[in-house]
Amino acid sequence: MRDFEYLEPTTVDEACAMLKDYGGEARPYAGGAYLSIVMRQGLLQPKALVNIKKINELKGIRFDAKEGLVIGALTTHRELETSKVAREKFPIFAHVEREVANIRVRNVGTIGGNLAAGEPLTDLAQVFMTLDARVVIAGPAGKRIIPIEELFLDFYHTSLGDDEILTQVIVPPLPPRSGIEYIRFSSSSVVDKPCVGVCVRLTSENDDMLNTVRIALGCVAPTPLRARNAEEILSGKRLSPELIEQAAGAAAEECSPTSDLRGSEKFKRGIVRVLVRRAAEKAYERARQG
Amino acid sequence: MSERSDGARRLDYLAKVTGRATYLADMKLPGVCHGRILRSPYPHARIVRIEVSKAAKIPGVVATLTRDDILDHPALDPYYGPVFKDQTIVAVEKVRHVGDPVAAVAALTPDAAEEALGAIEVEYEELAAITDVHEALKKNAPLVHDYVKVPEAGFADLAELRPVEGTNICTHFKLRRGDIDKGFAESDHIFEDTFTLPAAQHAFLEPHACIAQVEQGQRLTVWSTTQNPFVVRTQLANIFKLPVARVRVVVPYLGGGYGGKVYPKVEPLTVALALKAARPVRVVLSREEVFHTITKHGAVIRMKTGVKKDGTLMARECEVLLDTGAYAEIGPRVAKKSGYTAAGPYRIPHLKIDSMSIYTNKPPAGAFRGFGVSQSAWAHESQMDIIAHALKIDPLKLRLQNGYDENDTFVTGERLTSIGFKQCLAEVANAIGWEEKPETAKDRHVKRGKGIACLIKATITPSISSAVVKLNEDGSASVYAGTIEMGQGSETTLAQIAGRELEIPLERIQMLGVDTDVVPYDLTTSSSRSTFHMGKAVQLAAQDVKHQLKRIVAEDFGVPPEQIGFSQGKIRLPESLLDYREVMAKRFGMPGGTLVGQGQVKTKTVDERGEKTTSAFWFVGAGAAEVEVDSETGKLKLLRYVTAVDVGKAISVLGCRQQLAGASITGMGQALFEELVYDNGQLINPNLIDYVIPSLGDMPQKIEPILVEVPHKEGPFGAKGIGETALIPVAPAIANAIFDAVGVRVKDLPIKAEKIFLALEEKRGQGR
Amino acid sequence: MKKHIRLRVNGLDRELEVSTGATLLDTVRDQLDLTAAKLGCEMQVCGACTLLVDGKPVSACSYLALDADGAEILTTEGLAQGDKLHPLQESFMEMGALQCGYCTSGFLLAAKALLDENPRPSEDEIREYLAGNFCRCGCYGEILQAVKRAAGI
Repeated sequence: MRDFEYLEPTTVDEACAMLKDYGGEARPYAGGAYLSIVMRQGLLQPKALVNIKKINELKGIRFDAKEGLVIGALTTHRELETSKVAREKFPIFAHVEREVANIRVRNVGTIGGNLAAGEPLTDLAQVFMTLDARVVIAGPAGKRIIPIEELFLDFYHTSLGDDEILTQVIVPPLPPRSGIEYIRFSSSSVVDKPCVGVCVRLTSENDDMLNTVRIALGCVAPTPLRARNAEEILSGKRLSPELIEQAAGAAAEECSPTSDLRGSEKFKRGIVRVLVRRAAEKAYERARQG
Repeated sequence: MSERSDGARRLDYLAKVTGRATYLADMKLPGVCHGRILRSPYPHARIVRIEVSKAAKIPGVVATLTRDDILDHPALDPYYGPVFKDQTIVAVEKVRHVGDPVAAVAALTPDAAEEALGAIEVEYEELAAITDVHEALKKNAPLVHDYVKVPEAGFADLAELRPVEGTNICTHFKLRRGDIDKGFAESDHIFEDTFTLPAAQHAFLEPHACIAQVEQGQRLTVWSTTQNPFVVRTQLANIFKLPVARVRVVVPYLGGGYGGKVYPKVEPLTVALALKAARPVRVVLSREEVFHTITKHGAVIRMKTGVKKDGTLMARECEVLLDTGAYAEIGPRVAKKSGYTAAGPYRIPHLKIDSMSIYTNKPPAGAFRGFGVSQSAWAHESQMDIIAHALKIDPLKLRLQNGYDENDTFVTGERLTSIGFKQCLAEVANAIGWEEKPETAKDRHVKRGKGIACLIKATITPSISSAVVKLNEDGSASVYAGTIEMGQGSETTLAQIAGRELEIPLERIQMLGVDTDVVPYDLTTSSSRSTFHMGKAVQLAAQDVKHQLKRIVAEDFGVPPEQIGFSQGKIRLPESLLDYREVMAKRFGMPGGTLVGQGQVKTKTVDERGEKTTSAFWFVGAGAAEVEVDSETGKLKLLRYVTAVDVGKAISVLGCRQQLAGASITGMGQALFEELVYDNGQLINPNLIDYVIPSLGDMPQKIEPILVEVPHKEGPFGAKGIGETALIPVAPAIANAIFDAVGVRVKDLPIKAEKIFLALEEKRGQGR
Repeated sequence: MKKHIRLRVNGLDRELEVSTGATLLDTVRDQLDLTAAKLGCEMQVCGACTLLVDGKPVSACSYLALDADGAEILTTEGLAQGDKLHPLQESFMEMGALQCGYCTSGFLLAAKALLDENPRPSEDEIREYLAGNFCRCGCYGEILQAVKRAAGI
């Protein structure tokens, strides 16, 4: 690894100013789960790393009845996995995080870093998408808040500017009678990166009709995506096996998987189909239980 | 539970759990420089020009190495290789695989070495690359080697093997028996299938490493992660034109070997750098470099078998194409072993077997735990089930019907003795509950099934092991044995054998480290041979010490030899017991002195009855799997796996069970996850994230190791060998269980969900 | 460029000069001569380099030494108290939970972190926690038994 400057700001503004100074040749550095690999392989050779781990406003998880779950960007996967408040309000996070990478990466890798890397083989992003999460981004010009879908542009490419830092993820409170399920499929070992990861969230506020349908697919396109055609098939309807099958089929068509080490395009579409059905069935069961 | 036969703890355990065991990369030598290797980015290219002048000028660089340093050098023969001399220290006229070493540097710091690599200029002229065995065999295919040097003397068991000139065939092993056409003519049914498996990685956690130093200006010492220090010593002596006595190879504990650390790897290059730098040099490969250094042979196996309708095997024609990569390495022996075992552990009167190792422009393939038998067994055990199902015969019954019994004739015409083959099959069948159908799963789309597989394998013959046992003045013993401790527990097993023979406790036995200056010759730690060969040598050496003690007692104590016995670590006389210590003191007149005993084992290809012996002893074993298949996704879960191996005699029960379970887990990885994936000669997954090995999370609820003991009269206390056997049946047992569960036959490894998914889709499409 | 860090390693306070890109693994192995933690994969997947930083297992091969400034580090060499071995060290030996030993340091530290956090884990919890440490020799069954034994289960 080439030598670099290691800067340690204590506020977000300081950090953004440093990033701006380096004009694209510096990177925000938290857990380094992603950066350490690309730097060691020589794919990225920043002149400076801006260590944001000492910035207190980026830490912590709290729940607010109106805003929802506010997750500081420096929250590690392990912290989200074990957080009491997160488990109480959104048990799905613990379920997902258990299978992310391994215990060491989860101790060090952060939620902000995970989202900012734009990694296509992802788990968390799909869950955030189905929960209508938003991300808070700070830059020299100030703050902006965007829906999480707008963060991902292409693989390893997000809409974060060179001088911006993702500071929080805000997950609004779930309406009552909501159910959510995330299913991760590995084409080999349980510790392998996911081959396909599907999240379905259903809210059926009155009379078993689905008011809100969110289906997020991961690892089957350059970015995680919402299967909007599939969502449309279920939205406002009462669920039936035929309808679920139809939606699952639509989801399989909406994504654009690539044939690679973890499976062919045909196979991945086939898995999307099965997982969307299973996740929808489970989410619906949970929604009806309240 | 801990079940050591003498309750003792393994000798290496304390150092390993306290972090004090020193592996190669942990060693620190004053003044050592850092060696780095520049490797080819192309699978096949001529080297037009190499320029190192800029690299040499970088501050901290002490030496560079290119073909200019090794060609036409009076004190150096750059060609080497365990069978054929087709490898050079760095590439000479062309590079033959991505990762082929082209140049090297030694520098005072790792950063300087890295910078120097970047400053070496190489101009390549790309050549058409051979990327698979079929391409390699085509008429007018480009040749990976225009010419292959064959040394005058080499391994006795490979003497007849030669490369086929003008082709990419590195070796062609042929086995003929009976009359193949007659055999097929007499068959009621003929089955023809092609089975494939990819190249794979050993994936030991410790990468290859070497430190080379020329001491006192004339004596070469090499510390290396090698499984056969004596062969490396010989090869280095040949390359650098030194008498063997001036070359010393020292080996610490290895962090895994599994066959990937046999024969020279980075030693010749490290030594060349150390000579040029006139300083000690250390080379530790990165994980990616290990991927470019050695692999397991991928293979395409076409198997045509004729059977009678009652299930009797009549004839087998088989073609095994092993992708040996760019250099022969030990590929010729793998081809031979694969060929011998293509008939499996079955009586088949008519055989036509052709087993070839074929050059391609990929990293060299060599020894891998299972050594060619993983490949042939994948084919023969899968096909046995295909035959069984077609003839509606129980797969276990079919194997028992055709399987070897004691004193049957092997394909080489020799008699098989000490083979507990059917016992192994019976044990796994019983343990897996072969007669009972698996419990139905709760989810209606999840199907369960059971499968069984078995094997026979040989060990390198002839081979040599020697040992020395030294009795010290206090009755403690030191054992000199060249067997490498790479996790299999050989250090302790050998100490236990010495202790058992001398009847002294393990705490009073010291195993000396492997240093070719000190321990006598051992051919190799591989081929699951060490307990039998080195164990016997140690036993003989200990017996030699006892003979000497007996002679001393007869002479110095005046007792007739027939009245002298050994009992519980003492010498038993008619009227008294003597400690060894007392006998020594009597002989040497003081507390001092040494008795040195030696033992040698040299196995032959003809036994004392004058009968042919291709293998000093045989490995037989079986495995059975119970699996669960999600029929909607193809995802497989291994519920249970049981394995039985005939070990002859378990010197350490815990050690044997560890080997069986451990080999099964690697077998599981090879069956379900592992494959090296190439795209036009470029390896797409040269790392452990994308080359996936089994984790604790993938383990079935139960892996049950079962030890069968049919003693061998020549093994120490009846022991044979164990390291590789259990790996071999895993893949076919799983494939057979999948067929039982969902009725699809996967003939290509690894069996990933997609293959089952697509096969099920095809089956549904055909309305079956 | 070099920076100054202070950390506590196996109970001893240490002051070191490290370059910005130096990893915790290289620092511990080369500067402190604590070589139990090993380099295996270079990308955080194998676990051979596991060290405990403030009680949490991390991949030291990818952890900047700079980030360890002010932290408490435990290596395998620090597990025993004098010649009194940690229960995990005893149970690993007893159950045969190692063969070549290259992964052992990583497993011991990860298992210690697990038991410190969860003194009586279920078998599933042990599998999950340790799934990220590879053993190529295949001692997983024995390792599971050794952790249970050390936990008194």
